[in-house]
Amino acid sequence: MAVETPAKPSLSDKLYDKMFHNYVWKSIFRTGYPNTPRNQMLIVATNVFLHLHPTRLHRTHVKVTHTYCLGGLSFFMFLGLTVTGILLMFYYVPSVERAYLDMQNIETTVQFGQLMRNMHRWMAHAMVILVFMHMMRVFYTGAYKPPREFNWVIGVILLVLTFLLSFTGYLLPWDQLAFWAITVGTNIAGAAPVLGPKSRFWLLGGFEVGPNALIRFYTLHVIGLPLLAAIFMAVHFWRIRRDGGLARPL
Amino acid sequence: MATAAVARPAAKPQPRARDEEVLVWPDLVFIEFIAAMVFTLALFLLSFLMNAPLLDQANADVTPNPSKAPWYLLNLQELLLHMNAALAGVIVPSIWLVIMGAFPYFDRDNDGQGIWFGTENSIKLSIIGGLVGIVGTWFLILWDSGKLAFFLNDWFGFSGGDTFRFLENVRSIQTQLPWPEWSREITYSPWNIVIIGEDFQNLDFPGWLVEQGIPTGVMVAFPSLLIFALWRAGMIFTRRDAVVVLFSGFVGAYLVLTVVGTAFRGQGQELVFPWQLKVSEGIPGQH
Ligand code: HEM
Repeated sequence: MAVETPAKPSLSDKLYDKMFHNYVWKSIFRTGYPNTPRNQMLIVATNVFLHLHPTRLHRTHVKVTHTYCLGGLSFFMFLGLTVTGILLMFYYVPSVERAYLDMQNIETTVQFGQLMRNMHRWMAHAMVILVFMHMMRVFYTGAYKPPREFNWVIGVILLVLTFLLSFTGYLLPWDQLAFWAITVGTNIAGAAPVLGPKSRFWLLGGFEVGPNALIRFYTLHVIGLPLLAAIFMAVHFWRIRRDGGLARPL
Repeated sequence: MATAAVARPAAKPQPRARDEEVLVWPDLVFIEFIAAMVFTLALFLLSFLMNAPLLDQANADVTPNPSKAPWYLLNLQELLLHMNAALAGVIVPSIWLVIMGAFPYFDRDNDGQGIWFGTENSIKLSIIGGLVGIVGTWFLILWDSGKLAFFLNDWFGFSGGDTFRFLENVRSIQTQLPWPEWSREITYSPWNIVIIGEDFQNLDFPGWLVEQGIPTGVMVAFPSLLIFALWRAGMIFTRRDAVVVLFSGFVGAYLVLTVVGTAFRGQGQELVFPWQLKVSEGIPGQH
Protein backbone atom coordinates (compact mmCIF):
# COMPACT_ATOMS: atom_id res chain seq x y z
CA MET A 1 0.00 0.00 0.00
CA ALA A 2 1.15 3.40 -0.75
CA VAL A 3 2.26 5.31 2.25
CA GLU A 4 0.85 8.81 2.39
CA THR A 5 3.63 11.27 2.20
CA PRO A 6 3.00 14.86 3.10
CA ALA A 7 2.62 16.99 0.00
CA LYS A 8 5.69 18.91 -0.85
CA PRO A 9 5.41 22.59 0.01
CA SER A 10 4.41 24.45 -3.11
CA LEU A 11 6.21 27.51 -4.37
CA SER A 12 3.61 29.82 -2.87
CA ASP A 13 3.92 28.10 0.49
CA LYS A 14 7.63 28.66 0.43
CA LEU A 15 7.18 32.25 -0.55
CA TYR A 16 4.65 32.73 2.21
CA ASP A 17 7.06 31.24 4.72
CA LYS A 18 9.88 33.43 3.53
CA MET A 19 7.81 36.58 3.77
CA PHE A 20 5.94 36.15 7.01
CA HIS A 21 7.94 33.73 9.10
CA ASN A 22 11.25 35.46 9.05
CA TYR A 23 13.05 37.26 11.78
CA VAL A 24 12.47 40.81 10.51
CA TRP A 25 8.74 40.45 9.88
CA LYS A 26 8.22 38.93 13.27
CA SER A 27 10.10 41.76 14.89
CA ILE A 28 7.63 44.25 13.39
CA PHE A 29 4.39 42.28 13.54
CA ARG A 30 4.41 39.92 16.49
CA THR A 31 1.65 37.84 15.02
CA GLY A 32 1.77 35.76 11.88
CA TYR A 33 -0.14 36.71 8.78
CA PRO A 34 -3.81 37.19 9.76
CA ASN A 35 -5.22 34.15 8.04
CA THR A 36 -6.38 32.27 11.11
CA PRO A 37 -8.92 33.50 13.69
CA ARG A 38 -6.20 33.49 16.31
CA ASN A 39 -3.90 35.69 14.28
CA GLN A 40 -6.76 37.90 13.18
CA MET A 41 -7.63 38.67 16.76
CA LEU A 42 -4.03 39.08 17.75
CA ILE A 43 -3.31 41.53 14.98
CA VAL A 44 -6.16 43.78 16.10
CA ALA A 45 -5.20 43.52 19.75
CA THR A 46 -1.48 44.08 19.32
CA ASN A 47 -1.47 46.85 16.73
CA VAL A 48 -1.69 50.29 18.24
CA PHE A 49 -3.87 51.64 15.43
CA LEU A 50 -6.13 48.67 15.05
CA HIS A 51 -6.64 48.25 18.76
CA LEU A 52 -9.01 51.23 18.69
CA HIS A 53 -11.30 48.39 17.69
CA PRO A 54 -12.30 45.42 19.80
CA THR A 55 -11.13 42.11 18.38
CA ARG A 56 -14.68 40.95 17.79
CA LEU A 57 -17.91 42.83 17.46
CA HIS A 58 -21.60 42.27 17.11
CA ARG A 59 -22.86 41.28 13.67
CA THR A 60 -25.28 44.18 13.34
CA HIS A 61 -22.46 46.68 13.64
CA VAL A 62 -20.49 45.51 10.63
CA LYS A 63 -23.51 46.21 8.44
CA VAL A 64 -22.71 49.34 6.46
CA THR A 65 -26.30 50.51 6.83
CA HIS A 66 -25.95 50.71 10.59
CA THR A 67 -23.34 53.47 10.76
CA TYR A 68 -22.70 54.23 7.09
CA CYS A 69 -19.14 54.56 8.39
CA LEU A 70 -19.90 58.20 9.07
CA GLY A 71 -17.96 58.51 12.33
CA GLY A 72 -15.04 56.61 10.88
CA LEU A 73 -15.08 58.76 7.76
CA SER A 74 -15.16 61.94 9.86
CA PHE A 75 -12.03 60.70 11.54
CA PHE A 76 -10.53 59.74 8.18
CA MET A 77 -11.14 63.29 6.94
CA PHE A 78 -9.41 64.60 10.04
CA LEU A 79 -6.37 62.46 9.24
CA GLY A 80 -6.37 63.46 5.58
CA LEU A 81 -6.65 67.12 6.53
CA THR A 82 -3.68 66.71 8.83
CA VAL A 83 -1.56 65.25 6.04
CA THR A 84 -2.52 67.80 3.37
CA GLY A 85 -2.41 70.57 5.95
CA ILE A 86 1.17 69.78 6.90
CA LEU A 87 2.16 69.83 3.24
CA LEU A 88 0.51 73.23 2.81
CA MET A 89 2.34 74.54 5.86
CA PHE A 90 5.65 74.02 4.04
CA TYR A 91 4.75 76.80 1.63
CA TYR A 92 2.53 79.13 3.55
CA VAL A 93 3.55 82.01 5.81
CA PRO A 94 0.74 83.61 7.79
CA SER A 95 1.68 87.23 7.25
CA VAL A 96 -0.44 89.79 5.47
CA GLU A 97 2.43 90.49 3.07
CA ARG A 98 2.98 86.87 2.10
CA ALA A 99 -0.16 84.83 2.66
CA TYR A 100 -1.90 85.63 -0.62
CA LEU A 101 1.28 85.38 -2.69
CA ASP A 102 2.02 82.03 -1.09
CA MET A 103 -1.43 80.82 -2.06
CA GLN A 104 -0.77 81.84 -5.65
CA ASN A 105 2.59 80.11 -5.53
CA ILE A 106 1.04 76.95 -4.16
CA GLU A 107 -1.36 76.97 -7.09
CA THR A 108 1.12 77.78 -9.82
CA THR A 109 4.69 76.81 -8.96
CA VAL A 110 4.55 74.17 -6.23
CA GLN A 111 4.44 70.60 -7.56
CA PHE A 112 0.98 69.20 -6.87
CA GLY A 113 0.30 72.36 -4.87
CA GLN A 114 -3.07 73.02 -6.45
CA LEU A 115 -4.01 69.40 -5.84
CA MET A 116 -3.00 69.60 -2.18
CA ARG A 117 -4.95 72.78 -1.70
CA ASN A 118 -8.04 71.37 -3.42
CA MET A 119 -7.88 68.19 -1.38
CA HIS A 120 -7.56 70.17 1.84
CA ARG A 121 -10.48 72.40 0.94
CA TRP A 122 -12.88 69.70 -0.22
CA MET A 123 -11.99 67.42 2.67
CA ALA A 124 -12.78 70.24 5.08
CA HIS A 125 -16.22 70.69 3.55
CA ALA A 126 -16.71 66.92 3.54
CA MET A 127 -15.80 66.69 7.21
CA VAL A 128 -18.37 69.29 8.26
CA ILE A 129 -21.07 67.45 6.34
CA LEU A 130 -19.96 63.99 7.52
CA VAL A 131 -19.85 65.00 11.18
CA PHE A 132 -23.35 66.46 10.93
CA MET A 133 -24.62 63.32 9.23
CA HIS A 134 -22.87 61.15 11.83
CA MET A 135 -24.74 63.08 14.50
CA MET A 136 -28.01 62.39 12.67
CA ARG A 137 -27.26 58.67 12.41
CA VAL A 138 -26.41 58.51 16.13
CA PHE A 139 -29.63 60.33 16.92
CA TYR A 140 -31.93 58.25 14.75
CA THR A 141 -30.44 54.99 15.99
CA GLY A 142 -31.08 56.15 19.56
CA ALA A 143 -27.40 55.60 20.32
CA TYR A 144 -27.11 58.44 22.83
CA LYS A 145 -29.15 56.57 25.41
CA PRO A 146 -27.57 55.25 28.60
CA PRO A 147 -24.76 54.51 29.11
CA ARG A 148 -23.64 56.67 26.19
CA GLU A 149 -25.02 60.02 27.41
CA PHE A 150 -21.70 61.65 27.92
CA ASN A 151 -20.26 60.46 24.64
CA TRP A 152 -23.07 62.32 22.94
CA VAL A 153 -22.02 65.45 24.84
CA ILE A 154 -18.43 64.92 23.71
CA GLY A 155 -19.85 64.57 20.22
CA VAL A 156 -21.54 67.97 20.46
CA ILE A 157 -18.20 69.45 21.51
CA LEU A 158 -16.54 67.77 18.53
CA LEU A 159 -19.19 69.27 16.25
CA VAL A 160 -18.36 72.76 17.53
CA LEU A 161 -14.63 72.08 17.19
CA THR A 162 -15.15 70.92 13.61
CA PHE A 163 -16.95 74.19 12.79
CA LEU A 164 -14.20 76.20 14.47
CA LEU A 165 -11.44 74.33 12.65
CA SER A 166 -13.11 75.04 9.36
CA PHE A 167 -13.82 78.65 10.26
CA THR A 168 -10.25 79.45 11.31
CA GLY A 169 -8.92 77.88 8.11
CA TYR A 170 -11.23 80.01 5.99
CA LEU A 171 -9.25 83.19 6.65
CA LEU A 172 -5.85 81.85 5.69
CA PRO A 173 -5.93 82.33 1.88
CA TRP A 174 -6.26 86.05 2.62
CA ASP A 175 -8.39 86.72 -0.42
CA GLN A 176 -11.61 88.69 -0.59
CA LEU A 177 -13.70 85.62 0.14
CA ALA A 178 -11.67 84.84 3.25
CA PHE A 179 -11.46 88.38 4.53
CA TRP A 180 -15.13 89.22 4.28
CA ALA A 181 -16.38 85.87 5.44
CA ILE A 182 -14.35 86.20 8.60
CA THR A 183 -15.41 89.82 8.99
CA VAL A 184 -19.05 88.76 8.81
CA GLY A 185 -18.44 85.70 10.97
CA THR A 186 -16.66 87.53 13.75
CA ASN A 187 -19.28 90.28 13.64
CA ILE A 188 -21.79 87.58 14.50
CA ALA A 189 -19.66 86.57 17.48
CA GLY A 190 -19.22 90.22 18.42
CA ALA A 191 -22.96 90.62 18.75
CA ALA A 192 -23.03 88.54 21.90
CA PRO A 193 -24.48 90.43 24.85
CA VAL A 194 -21.93 91.98 27.18
CA LEU A 195 -19.00 89.71 26.31
CA GLY A 196 -19.34 89.95 22.54
CA PRO A 197 -17.14 92.92 21.69
CA LYS A 198 -14.46 91.72 24.07
CA SER A 199 -14.40 88.21 22.68
CA ARG A 200 -14.31 89.54 19.14
CA PHE A 201 -11.38 91.75 20.04
CA TRP A 202 -9.65 88.81 21.65
CA LEU A 203 -10.26 86.58 18.65
CA LEU A 204 -9.04 89.14 16.11
CA GLY A 205 -6.34 90.75 18.21
CA GLY A 206 -7.84 94.09 17.25
CA PHE A 207 -11.00 95.74 16.06
CA GLU A 208 -10.67 94.58 12.49
CA VAL A 209 -9.48 91.58 10.57
CA GLY A 210 -5.78 92.26 10.10
CA PRO A 211 -2.30 90.84 10.69
CA ASN A 212 -3.06 89.89 14.29
CA ALA A 213 -6.20 88.08 13.29
CA LEU A 214 -4.31 86.17 10.62
CA ILE A 215 -1.65 84.90 13.00
CA ARG A 216 -4.23 84.01 15.65
CA PHE A 217 -6.42 82.11 13.24
CA TYR A 218 -3.37 80.36 11.84
CA THR A 219 -2.14 79.26 15.25
CA LEU A 220 -5.55 78.07 16.29
CA HIS A 221 -6.02 76.33 12.96
CA VAL A 222 -2.76 74.42 12.77
CA ILE A 223 -2.14 73.55 16.40
CA GLY A 224 -4.63 74.77 19.01
CA LEU A 225 -7.86 73.37 17.64
CA PRO A 226 -6.43 70.18 16.08
CA LEU A 227 -4.87 69.34 19.43
CA LEU A 228 -8.15 69.90 21.23
CA ALA A 229 -10.06 67.93 18.62
CA ALA A 230 -7.56 65.06 18.83
CA ILE A 231 -7.94 64.95 22.60
CA PHE A 232 -11.71 64.89 22.43
CA MET A 233 -11.64 62.27 19.67
CA ALA A 234 -9.40 60.10 21.83
CA VAL A 235 -11.92 60.36 24.65
CA HIS A 236 -14.77 59.75 22.19
CA PHE A 237 -13.22 56.52 20.89
CA TRP A 238 -12.12 55.35 24.32
CA ARG A 239 -15.62 55.77 25.64
CA ILE A 240 -17.17 53.86 22.77
CA ARG A 241 -15.11 50.87 23.91
CA ARG A 242 -15.80 51.49 27.62
CA ASP A 243 -19.53 51.77 27.00
CA GLY A 244 -19.52 48.28 25.54
CA GLY A 245 -19.08 49.07 21.86
CA LEU A 246 -21.80 50.53 19.71
CA ALA A 247 -25.35 50.66 20.97
CA ARG A 248 -27.64 47.74 20.21
CA PRO A 249 -31.14 46.91 21.33
CA LEU A 250 -31.38 45.55 24.85
CA MET B 1 -37.27 54.80 46.17
CA ALA B 2 -35.92 58.01 44.79
CA THR B 3 -32.33 57.29 45.79
CA ALA B 4 -32.45 53.90 44.15
CA ALA B 5 -33.45 55.54 40.89
CA VAL B 6 -30.49 57.88 41.08
CA ALA B 7 -28.07 55.10 41.97
CA ARG B 8 -29.29 52.97 39.07
CA PRO B 9 -26.21 51.51 37.35
CA ALA B 10 -26.66 53.68 34.32
CA ALA B 11 -23.09 53.45 33.11
CA LYS B 12 -22.93 49.69 33.07
CA PRO B 13 -21.97 48.41 29.64
CA GLN B 14 -24.26 45.96 28.00
CA PRO B 15 -23.31 42.30 28.38
CA ARG B 16 -21.74 40.89 25.25
CA ALA B 17 -23.41 38.30 23.12
CA ARG B 18 -20.37 36.35 22.06
CA ASP B 19 -22.14 33.93 19.79
CA GLU B 20 -23.42 36.87 17.76
CA GLU B 21 -19.99 38.34 17.21
CA VAL B 22 -17.77 38.39 14.16
CA LEU B 23 -14.09 39.14 13.83
CA VAL B 24 -13.04 42.74 13.34
CA TRP B 25 -10.33 41.57 11.00
CA PRO B 26 -11.44 40.99 8.29
CA ASP B 27 -15.15 41.85 8.60
CA LEU B 28 -14.90 45.45 9.80
CA VAL B 29 -11.41 46.41 8.69
CA PHE B 30 -12.32 45.46 5.13
CA ILE B 31 -15.37 47.76 5.12
CA GLU B 32 -13.40 50.60 6.61
CA PHE B 33 -10.73 50.14 3.98
CA ILE B 34 -13.27 50.24 1.15
CA ALA B 35 -14.97 53.33 2.61
CA ALA B 36 -11.63 55.10 2.97
CA MET B 37 -10.65 54.20 -0.60
CA VAL B 38 -13.97 55.35 -2.05
CA PHE B 39 -13.65 58.69 -0.31
CA THR B 40 -10.01 59.10 -1.23
CA LEU B 41 -10.73 58.44 -4.89
CA ALA B 42 -13.84 60.64 -4.92
CA LEU B 43 -11.96 63.51 -3.32
CA PHE B 44 -9.05 63.14 -5.72
CA LEU B 45 -11.49 63.18 -8.61
CA LEU B 46 -13.25 66.24 -7.24
CA SER B 47 -9.91 67.95 -6.73
CA PHE B 48 -8.92 67.33 -10.33
CA LEU B 49 -12.24 68.64 -11.61
CA MET B 50 -12.75 71.62 -9.37
CA ASN B 51 -10.30 74.12 -7.97
CA ALA B 52 -10.65 75.69 -4.55
CA PRO B 53 -11.69 79.33 -4.95
CA LEU B 54 -9.11 82.09 -4.74
CA LEU B 55 -10.40 85.60 -5.40
CA ASP B 56 -8.48 88.87 -5.41
CA GLN B 57 -6.24 89.69 -2.50
CA ALA B 58 -8.03 90.76 0.66
CA ASN B 59 -8.90 94.44 0.61
CA ALA B 60 -10.62 96.10 3.54
CA ASP B 61 -11.72 98.97 1.28
CA VAL B 62 -13.66 96.86 -1.19
CA THR B 63 -16.76 95.25 0.26
CA PRO B 64 -18.31 92.54 -1.88
CA ASN B 65 -22.07 92.71 -2.02
CA PRO B 66 -23.32 90.43 -0.57
CA SER B 67 -20.60 89.58 1.96
CA LYS B 68 -21.19 86.13 3.30
CA ALA B 69 -19.83 84.00 6.11
CA PRO B 70 -18.68 80.43 5.32
CA TRP B 71 -21.65 78.35 4.17
CA TYR B 72 -22.08 76.43 7.44
CA LEU B 73 -22.59 79.75 9.25
CA LEU B 74 -25.04 81.14 6.71
CA ASN B 75 -27.90 79.70 8.73
CA LEU B 76 -26.94 82.13 11.49
CA GLN B 77 -26.44 84.95 9.02
CA GLU B 78 -29.94 84.24 7.73
CA LEU B 79 -31.38 84.31 11.26
CA LEU B 80 -29.58 87.61 11.75
CA LEU B 81 -31.80 89.22 9.11
CA HIS B 82 -34.88 88.50 11.13
CA MET B 83 -33.97 89.40 14.69
CA ASN B 84 -31.62 90.98 17.15
CA ALA B 85 -28.00 90.18 16.32
CA ALA B 86 -27.06 88.81 19.73
CA LEU B 87 -30.12 86.59 19.74
CA ALA B 88 -29.53 85.19 16.26
CA GLY B 89 -25.78 84.94 16.27
CA VAL B 90 -24.98 83.81 19.76
CA ILE B 91 -27.88 83.13 22.10
CA VAL B 92 -29.97 80.89 19.86
CA PRO B 93 -27.09 78.65 18.70
CA SER B 94 -25.64 78.41 22.22
CA ILE B 95 -28.96 77.50 23.76
CA TRP B 96 -29.62 74.99 21.01
CA LEU B 97 -26.26 73.31 21.58
CA VAL B 98 -27.04 73.02 25.27
CA ILE B 99 -30.50 71.63 24.57
CA MET B 100 -29.07 69.13 22.12
CA GLY B 101 -26.32 68.13 24.53
CA ALA B 102 -28.99 67.55 27.16
CA PHE B 103 -31.05 65.14 25.02
CA PRO B 104 -29.67 62.01 26.68
CA TYR B 105 -30.34 63.42 30.13
CA PHE B 106 -33.94 64.14 29.22
CA ASP B 107 -34.64 60.96 27.28
CA ARG B 108 -33.12 58.24 29.46
CA ASP B 109 -35.16 55.30 28.37
CA ASN B 110 -33.34 52.47 26.60
CA ASP B 111 -36.33 51.95 24.35
CA GLY B 112 -35.44 52.01 20.67
CA GLN B 113 -31.73 52.05 21.28
CA GLY B 114 -29.29 50.81 18.70
CA ILE B 115 -31.55 50.39 15.68
CA TRP B 116 -32.69 52.87 13.10
CA PHE B 117 -36.02 54.41 14.04
CA GLY B 118 -36.43 51.83 16.76
CA THR B 119 -39.52 53.19 18.45
CA GLU B 120 -43.07 53.05 17.23
CA ASN B 121 -44.11 55.96 15.02
CA SER B 122 -40.59 57.36 14.91
CA ILE B 123 -40.39 57.44 11.11
CA LYS B 124 -43.72 59.23 10.95
CA LEU B 125 -42.68 61.64 13.68
CA SER B 126 -39.36 62.36 11.97
CA ILE B 127 -41.10 63.13 8.70
CA ILE B 128 -43.66 65.37 10.37
CA GLY B 129 -41.01 67.18 12.39
CA GLY B 130 -38.76 67.59 9.36
CA LEU B 131 -41.54 68.82 7.10
CA VAL B 132 -42.85 71.30 9.64
CA GLY B 133 -39.31 72.55 10.10
CA ILE B 134 -38.81 72.98 6.36
CA VAL B 135 -42.19 74.44 5.48
CA GLY B 136 -42.45 76.54 8.63
CA THR B 137 -39.03 78.08 8.17
CA TRP B 138 -39.69 78.85 4.52
CA PHE B 139 -43.01 80.40 5.45
CA LEU B 140 -41.47 82.61 8.12
CA ILE B 141 -38.67 83.72 5.80
CA LEU B 142 -41.13 84.54 3.03
CA TRP B 143 -43.30 86.46 5.43
CA ASP B 144 -40.53 88.45 7.01
CA SER B 145 -38.98 89.36 3.68
CA GLY B 146 -42.35 90.80 2.65
CA LYS B 147 -42.69 88.27 -0.17
CA LEU B 148 -45.86 86.80 1.24
CA ALA B 149 -47.67 90.12 1.15
CA PHE B 150 -46.20 90.70 -2.29
CA PHE B 151 -47.44 87.34 -3.64
CA LEU B 152 -50.87 87.80 -2.10
CA ASN B 153 -51.19 91.20 -3.71
CA ASP B 154 -49.55 90.47 -7.05
CA TRP B 155 -50.85 87.00 -7.73
CA PHE B 156 -54.19 86.92 -5.96
CA GLY B 157 -55.08 90.57 -5.72
CA PHE B 158 -55.35 90.44 -1.94
CA SER B 159 -54.23 93.57 -0.29
CA GLY B 160 -54.69 94.57 3.30
CA GLY B 161 -54.38 98.22 2.37
CA ASP B 162 -52.98 100.49 5.01
CA THR B 163 -54.95 98.86 7.82
CA PHE B 164 -53.05 95.63 7.62
CA ARG B 165 -49.76 97.04 6.48
CA PHE B 166 -48.34 96.23 9.90
CA LEU B 167 -48.59 92.53 9.04
CA GLU B 168 -46.34 92.82 6.01
CA ASN B 169 -43.31 91.61 7.93
CA VAL B 170 -42.03 91.62 11.48
CA ARG B 171 -40.46 95.06 11.31
CA SER B 172 -43.68 96.71 10.19
CA ILE B 173 -45.27 95.84 13.51
CA GLN B 174 -42.87 98.40 14.90
CA THR B 175 -43.11 100.93 12.08
CA GLN B 176 -46.73 100.70 10.93
CA LEU B 177 -48.60 100.64 14.22
CA PRO B 178 -49.40 103.84 16.10
CA TRP B 179 -47.28 103.09 19.16
CA PRO B 180 -47.63 105.79 21.80
CA GLU B 181 -44.52 107.85 22.27
CA TRP B 182 -43.92 106.67 25.85
CA SER B 183 -43.74 103.05 24.79
CA ARG B 184 -40.62 103.78 22.81
CA GLU B 185 -38.76 104.76 25.93
CA ILE B 186 -39.84 102.91 29.04
CA THR B 187 -37.53 103.54 31.94
CA TYR B 188 -37.28 100.38 33.92
CA SER B 189 -34.35 101.14 36.13
CA PRO B 190 -33.94 104.21 38.31
CA TRP B 191 -30.26 104.49 37.45
CA ASN B 192 -28.25 103.56 34.43
CA ILE B 193 -26.61 100.16 34.70
CA VAL B 194 -23.54 99.98 32.52
CA ILE B 195 -21.98 96.59 31.93
CA ILE B 196 -18.82 96.80 29.82
CA GLY B 197 -19.97 99.73 27.76
CA GLU B 198 -23.57 98.66 27.30
CA ASP B 199 -26.22 100.54 29.20
CA PHE B 200 -29.50 99.22 30.43
CA GLN B 201 -32.05 101.78 31.52
CA ASN B 202 -34.63 102.45 28.87
CA LEU B 203 -36.64 100.01 26.85
CA ASP B 204 -37.85 100.72 23.34
CA PHE B 205 -40.82 98.41 23.58
CA PRO B 206 -41.84 98.14 19.89
CA GLY B 207 -38.21 97.65 18.95
CA TRP B 208 -37.77 95.02 21.62
CA LEU B 209 -40.96 93.31 20.50
CA VAL B 210 -39.96 92.87 16.87
CA GLU B 211 -36.31 92.15 17.45
CA GLN B 212 -36.51 89.91 20.47
CA GLY B 213 -40.00 89.28 21.77
CA ILE B 214 -41.67 87.93 18.65
CA PRO B 215 -38.67 85.94 17.35
CA THR B 216 -38.13 84.32 20.75
CA GLY B 217 -41.83 83.64 21.03
CA VAL B 218 -41.93 82.03 17.62
CA MET B 219 -38.89 79.86 18.26
CA VAL B 220 -40.25 78.65 21.59
CA ALA B 221 -43.92 78.47 20.71
CA PHE B 222 -43.78 76.70 17.34
CA PRO B 223 -41.88 73.61 18.49
CA SER B 224 -43.84 73.49 21.75
CA LEU B 225 -47.15 73.73 19.93
CA LEU B 226 -46.13 71.07 17.47
CA ILE B 227 -45.15 68.67 20.23
CA PHE B 228 -48.29 69.50 22.19
CA ALA B 229 -50.50 68.94 19.16
CA LEU B 230 -48.89 65.61 18.33
CA TRP B 231 -49.25 64.57 21.94
CA ARG B 232 -52.95 65.43 21.90
CA ALA B 233 -53.28 63.60 18.61
CA GLY B 234 -51.95 60.50 20.33
CA MET B 235 -48.73 60.29 18.34
CA ILE B 236 -46.29 61.30 21.04
CA PHE B 237 -46.11 59.05 24.07
CA THR B 238 -42.57 59.08 25.32
CA ARG B 239 -39.80 61.59 25.77
CA ARG B 240 -38.01 59.93 22.90
CA ASP B 241 -40.98 60.78 20.65
CA ALA B 242 -40.83 64.42 21.68
CA VAL B 243 -37.08 64.58 21.13
CA VAL B 244 -37.42 62.95 17.71
CA VAL B 245 -39.88 65.66 16.63
CA LEU B 246 -37.72 68.42 18.05
CA PHE B 247 -34.50 67.16 16.46
CA SER B 248 -36.14 66.52 13.09
CA GLY B 249 -37.66 69.98 13.16
CA PHE B 250 -34.22 71.40 13.89
CA VAL B 251 -32.66 69.51 10.99
CA GLY B 252 -35.38 70.79 8.66
CA ALA B 253 -35.06 74.40 9.81
CA TYR B 254 -31.25 74.24 9.77
CA LEU B 255 -31.32 72.92 6.22
CA VAL B 256 -33.65 75.64 4.98
CA LEU B 257 -31.76 78.43 6.74
CA THR B 258 -28.46 77.20 5.31
CA VAL B 259 -29.82 76.80 1.78
CA VAL B 260 -31.61 80.16 1.81
CA GLY B 261 -28.57 81.92 3.24
CA THR B 262 -26.34 80.30 0.64
CA ALA B 263 -28.36 80.26 -2.54
CA PHE B 264 -31.25 82.68 -2.13
CA ARG B 265 -29.63 85.81 -0.72
CA GLY B 266 -28.41 88.30 -3.28
CA GLN B 267 -27.22 91.86 -3.12
CA GLY B 268 -28.17 93.66 0.05
CA GLN B 269 -29.25 90.24 1.40
CA GLU B 270 -32.35 90.54 -0.79
CA LEU B 271 -34.29 87.30 -1.19
CA VAL B 272 -33.80 86.22 -4.81
CA PHE B 273 -33.80 83.04 -6.86
CA PRO B 274 -30.46 81.26 -7.03
CA TRP B 275 -30.06 82.05 -10.74
CA GLN B 276 -30.44 85.76 -10.05
CA LEU B 277 -27.66 85.67 -7.53
CA LYS B 278 -24.57 87.63 -8.38
CA VAL B 279 -21.85 89.25 -6.36
CA SER B 280 -20.61 92.71 -7.10
CA GLU B 281 -17.42 94.08 -5.71
CA GLY B 282 -17.96 97.24 -3.76
CA ILE B 283 -16.54 100.53 -4.88
CA PRO B 284 -13.27 101.27 -3.08
CA GLY B 285 -13.73 103.39 -0.03
CA GLN B 286 -17.44 102.83 0.05
CA HIS B 287 -18.83 100.43 2.61
C1 HEM C 1 -14.99 65.03 14.72
C2 HEM C 1 -16.13 64.51 14.91
C3 HEM C 1 -16.45 63.06 15.24
C4 HEM C 1 -15.73 61.90 15.02
C5 HEM C 1 -14.38 61.76 14.34
C6 HEM C 1 -16.53 60.82 15.52
C7 HEM C 1 -16.16 59.47 15.44
C8 HEM C 1 -16.98 58.43 15.84
C9 HEM C 1 -16.78 57.04 15.49
C10 HEM C 1 -15.64 56.50 14.61
C11 HEM C 1 -17.78 56.32 16.05
C12 HEM C 1 -18.00 54.81 15.89
C13 HEM C 1 -19.30 54.50 15.18
C14 HEM C 1 -19.56 55.23 13.90
O1 HEM C 1 -18.66 55.31 13.05
O2 HEM C 1 -20.67 55.74 13.76
C15 HEM C 1 -18.60 57.25 16.81
C16 HEM C 1 -19.69 56.91 17.58
C17 HEM C 1 -20.46 57.81 18.30
N1 HEM C 1 -20.46 59.17 18.12
FE1 HEM C 1 -19.07 60.22 17.12
N2 HEM C 1 -17.69 61.31 16.07
C18 HEM C 1 -17.68 62.67 15.90
C19 HEM C 1 -18.69 63.55 16.25
C20 HEM C 1 -19.83 63.18 16.95
C21 HEM C 1 -20.97 64.02 17.17
C22 HEM C 1 -21.14 65.44 16.61
C23 HEM C 1 -21.84 63.31 17.95
C24 HEM C 1 -23.19 63.72 18.51
C25 HEM C 1 -23.54 64.88 18.82
C26 HEM C 1 -21.25 62.02 18.22
C27 HEM C 1 -21.79 61.03 19.02
C28 HEM C 1 -21.41 59.70 18.97
C29 HEM C 1 -22.02 58.64 19.76
C30 HEM C 1 -23.09 58.80 20.84
C31 HEM C 1 -21.41 57.44 19.32
C32 HEM C 1 -21.76 56.03 19.80
C33 HEM C 1 -22.69 55.48 18.76
C34 HEM C 1 -23.18 54.10 19.03
O3 HEM C 1 -22.97 53.58 20.13
O4 HEM C 1 -23.82 53.54 18.11
N3 HEM C 1 -20.03 61.96 17.57
N4 HEM C 1 -18.09 58.53 16.65
